[in-house]
Amino acid sequence: MRLPPGVRDWLPQEFAFKQSVEDRIAVVFDHWSYARILTPTFESYESLERGLGEKLMRQTFRFSDPLGEELALRTEMTTPIARVVSTRLRNASLPIRLSYIAPAYRYEEPQLGRMREFTQAGAELIGAPGADADAEALFMAIETLDAVGLADAQFDINDSAIVDGALVSLGLSGSAVRSWKAAIAARNLVDLDGFASRDGVRSERYALLRRLVVTRGTEDVLAMARELAMNPEAQAAIYRLERILARAAALGFGARIAIDPALLRDLEYYTGFVFEGFLGDLGFSLCGGGRYDGLLPRFGYDVPAVGWMVGVERILLALERRRIGERRSREVDVFVVGSDRAAMSERARGRRVRVDVRGLDRSAAIAYARHKAIPRVLIACGEEVEEILLEADERAL
Amino acid sequence: MSSLTIALPKGSLYDESSALLGAIGIEIPGDPGRRLTMKSNDGSAELLLLRPTDVPAYVEFGAADCGIVGKDTLWESERSVSEAVDLRFGACRLVVAARRSDGYHEGARYPTFLRVATKFKRMATQYFSERDIPCEIIALHGSVELAPIVGLADVIVDLVATGSTLREHDMVVVDEIAASSARFVLNPVAYRSKYARLSALCERLQRMVAS
Repeated sequence: MRLPPGVRDWLPQEFAFKQSVEDRIAVVFDHWSYARILTPTFESYESLERGLGEKLMRQTFRFSDPLGEELALRTEMTTPIARVVSTRLRNASLPIRLSYIAPAYRYEEPQLGRMREFTQAGAELIGAPGADADAEALFMAIETLDAVGLADAQFDINDSAIVDGALVSLGLSGSAVRSWKAAIAARNLVDLDGFASRDGVRSERYALLRRLVVTRGTEDVLAMARELAMNPEAQAAIYRLERILARAAALGFGARIAIDPALLRDLEYYTGFVFEGFLGDLGFSLCGGGRYDGLLPRFGYDVPAVGWMVGVERILLALERRRIGERRSREVDVFVVGSDRAAMSERARGRRVRVDVRGLDRSAAIAYARHKAIPRVLIACGEEVEEILLEADERAL
Repeated sequence: MSSLTIALPKGSLYDESSALLGAIGIEIPGDPGRRLTMKSNDGSAELLLLRPTDVPAYVEFGAADCGIVGKDTLWESERSVSEAVDLRFGACRLVVAARRSDGYHEGARYPTFLRVATKFKRMATQYFSERDIPCEIIALHGSVELAPIVGLADVIVDLVATGSTLREHDMVVVDEIAASSARFVLNPVAYRSKYARLSALCERLQRMVAS
């Protein structure tokens, strides 16, 4: 029996590793007071569709129930959460903080770091506009990667209003803006140069923009942005990024954060601040997020939101590359032969108990415990229970 | 500073690639022979010697930080890499070509269902579907110009550099689809994590090709 492409089994040791990472993430979410939420694996396509850009729409697993209702597997968790908040949590006081660790599904070519079933962990801060909410999403992501052992992760931040403002100042509009932004997002300078001559943009203005989108930095980027993007939206975005940088610096995160003006995540979805976290030794980003003020209004609830997510399997990949495996904890504390009562009382004390089901005699039971590195054996003899402690050095490890 | 990993295509783009890198200070030992990897003379860069069609995958997954590859390879690869610099060498054009005797280049109508032989399945499919020309793509791996001669296809979609291969087989260009040349490509995350080195490298390459 073979599995379909893009899905995998998690055997006990692999699953324990994954679980341990998810546990650490859950602790961070809890410490930031984000309540965990879970929505159904599938729901009506009509609802999920509201959060999907063109690419995700093509990657959605769709099917219908026997009555012909069109259903779909969730491709991410933010859209279902937007549905929940705009319906069942509509009367809750704002802002609302929710988090999740759950599988999502996308139809894509399975390859390194990309599976059709994968686990996303993330958090949404709904009902709060402004830079302080943006900063909360970013800082929470940084602390999460720190908590799983990836404290060298770097974070790039941006606000699409800067490039938007710059393109306006070059006199571009309509479909030209879309093609320019796509080239900037891909950092495809060859295309960008082509568009500049196609659209007849004055060369000194274009040189400024070109320099902006190849620069990654902090103050230098903001200075260029101020010069190039002079509309109020861009100026407000620059002010917000400055504030986020200042708060990050005060926390000691300064050296790990830079502004990349070409960071334009999923343009159909994000409406302002965006960020991405990455490692020097992994060719794709680990986590990302940003402000998506347009999503909840599509569910009839006009509130702003910011959120972020991290791919759990990508974290595992990064940890494995660094040979950071979860140290295997002892699987069984005590082996019990012939006494249900002793076994029950050990379990009640919080110990991991294995009960003999093969009718082993005393010496076979001890041999088994040694072989499995179980430190204690309890054997019933009449009314009594004999306890045998196996010294660490006696146990075959 | 961690060293830079550069993916280089073996074959026709190799000599000019290594000459260009040498010119900006990344000197590479002459003939790679059958080696898969080498270090630059100053040890600052690790070079991966790859089949040209494998360069985009190595760069996309970050196994290489950057690389040199023909635009023609990028067309067919669906890999997401940043095209940072047009290196100008290795120039060629992707064209529709046919036997001179069929007269397509002089306006003769295509058959109602066109058979197209090509190594460039994506580009050919896109070209004919944009023009609403019903066609069947026959994917081949080499010597595409043979296909119309033996009646396997009506036209071919292939790369042309000088045009001498077409002339040899009495074929002509019917239409030009796109122009290709070698590109310096980047892994988008590597550009961020090794920003200082990669942005400087791009700038030097850009100046080099502009001069």
